[in-house]
Amino acid sequence: MGVIVKKVELTWLDRTYVWPVLQGMSITFGHFIRNLFTPTAKRYTVQYPDMKREIPAGYRGLHELKRFEDGAIKCVACFMCQEACPARCISIEAEEFSDLNLSQGFQEKRPAKFSIDMLRCIYCGMCEEACPKDAIWLRKEYEVAAYDRLSMQFGKWNLMNTYAEADGKEQLTQDPTPSVPRRTIAM
Amino acid sequence: MDKLASLLHTTPAIVWMVGKVVVVFLSVFLLASVWTWVERRGSAMIQDRIGPNRALLFGRWPILGLSQLLADGIKFFFKEDLVPEAANKGLFWLAPFLAFVPALMGFAVIPVGKSFICDGVTYHLSVLDPGNGMGLLYPLAIGGLAVYGVLLAAWSSNNKWSILGGMRASATMVSYEIGISMAVVAVFMVSGGYDPAEVIKAQGHLPWTWYVARQPLGFLVFFTCMFAETNRLPFDFAEGESEIVAGFNTEYGSMKFSLLALAEYSHLMTASALVATLYFGGWQVPFMADPPVLLSVASFLVKMLFFAWVFVWVRWTLPRFRYDQLMHLGWKILLPLSMANLVFHAWRMSQGH
Amino acid sequence: MFITFAFVTLLGALGMLLQKNVIVAGLCMVATFFGVAGLFLLLANPVAAALQIIVYSGAIMVLVLFVIMMLNSHEEEAAQTARPVQRWVSVALVAALAFGAVKLVLTSAGLKALAVSGEPMPGAMTLQKVGTTLFAEHLLGFEVAGILLLAAMVGAVALTKRNL
Repeated sequence: MGVIVKKVELTWLDRTYVWPVLQGMSITFGHFIRNLFTPTAKRYTVQYPDMKREIPAGYRGLHELKRFEDGAIKCVACFMCQEACPARCISIEAEEFSDLNLSQGFQEKRPAKFSIDMLRCIYCGMCEEACPKDAIWLRKEYEVAAYDRLSMQFGKWNLMNTYAEADGKEQLTQDPTPSVPRRTIAM
Repeated sequence: MDKLASLLHTTPAIVWMVGKVVVVFLSVFLLASVWTWVERRGSAMIQDRIGPNRALLFGRWPILGLSQLLADGIKFFFKEDLVPEAANKGLFWLAPFLAFVPALMGFAVIPVGKSFICDGVTYHLSVLDPGNGMGLLYPLAIGGLAVYGVLLAAWSSNNKWSILGGMRASATMVSYEIGISMAVVAVFMVSGGYDPAEVIKAQGHLPWTWYVARQPLGFLVFFTCMFAETNRLPFDFAEGESEIVAGFNTEYGSMKFSLLALAEYSHLMTASALVATLYFGGWQVPFMADPPVLLSVASFLVKMLFFAWVFVWVRWTLPRFRYDQLMHLGWKILLPLSMANLVFHAWRMSQGH
Repeated sequence: MFITFAFVTLLGALGMLLQKNVIVAGLCMVATFFGVAGLFLLLANPVAAALQIIVYSGAIMVLVLFVIMMLNSHEEEAAQTARPVQRWVSVALVAALAFGAVKLVLTSAGLKALAVSGEPMPGAMTLQKVGTTLFAEHLLGFEVAGILLLAAMVGAVALTKRNL
């Protein structure tokens, strides 16, 4: 089945070529004048460092490890995110802690180390999907850059504090409860 | 001026001459470099963008991105100056100058303002005084030489795409020069002289006696051919980015590249000055029979810069022609049109006598 | 001034003859045209100078270079070495020709007239004068040349374009 292309019939005015050129020039001149009298701040271009785009809801930016009210980490070191990660950028080391309390939902396991290699991360959001505790979120921060590779390895405390300033929360540097050495439970 | 001359142990005439040369060529050079900025900002406005506006002068004043020029200039100076291994070294060096010098030299005969008399001496505001016998043949002759720069740049860089660009440029130049000459001959014929001063005087100060009103066809042909002559966009066959990499200047970098770019813009300035002189009454101020000198210079500058802007404007409006369309337009449309223009005006003159 | 232009002309011509590279030879020829244009200027004939540059440098040499590039013959084959006899004969011929030319110029009537009389130089040539001369005194020659060129053009088209 062929598509019938309709041929444009040119009038004699179009054939002179001069008139269409003038028409085109009037269009471009209209744009020129319109832009000339529009202040730069109001044009389509977002002048990036000075102006920033409104980030849509559901944007997947830099990760945050969520915390409870008392500053304890929500993560229970279940390794689901590490398994789900297609870029294999998450690495977790688990530890146990003793002080069980209600706010933490009687957890007794948490990550001792939780690091994400931001150079490998593809911001796919799989870790957020996989997390059973809603402990890792991908939020709106997107300016992730550094001068060397090592500073792109985000550790546990980096990840917990990524949005602390934006949300007006305090910077955390330690867990509210100490860890305890691994117990062997007699079955 | 006499004092300055005696200080320098020369005559006032020589001081005036040297001053003219320096001022005219330097201002054309500066205008050409400013026009790179106009091109970028203008194209941005036309395409709803913003264009260069981030470079700061002394890290403080943005002045609409004009300091981008300085930044670019400094950058070009400090870039590595590469010469390809298999290039013809001498010609590779010579080509940018061969492109640049004719583009600038064409400006020499064009009067930028009314001649004035001071202490019984007549001062002409053009580098070559009127009555030099070359008249407007000179910019045509020099303009034809500009293609050597392109051709040599293309050939000496020993690159297939460059050679293609250079050959297309030379073919374009040769084809369109005939159209230009025919259109200009009609102007010479009607004005009865070929010196720019005579052409301007013959046009008078009323806009409807300028040659654009008397020979609209000739103007159209001349202006169109000028686009081809300056290698500007609807006909920029020397550097078709989508077809032949970057054309004749593919192998060029650093200061040599910027010289080639400046040559294009100087050529544009010369071409718009020519259009203003031939068809828009040069320094004539509309409705003013005997304008003051400064006003005449301003009038000429306004006309010239307007046409330079039209060159930019058209560039960002029209797409590039195909090569066979270009040849078709040049030989089968523009040349007959300019001949018809010539014959028509010859006929009218014969009726008039 | 004369010396400069003469040197440019001669050096250009020599360069063109001796240069192995075709494109560079073409450029040398352009330099020669420039020298000749300068000489025309010195002879108070700026029109001829301008036409020289427009026609020869601006159009003909561009076309020649265009054709050279199109045929893409960057390097010429090495010519057969000339035998000494040929060389001597050519040198003798050139010397005889040069001697004859110089003698002709020195004994010409124009030079004598220039040396003897102190009458003013004729005014500079203008385009108007060229026009009146062409169409008043040399009308027949002009028309014949025009017809000849037209015939050449038609012939060229007929030769290259077989199926019109």
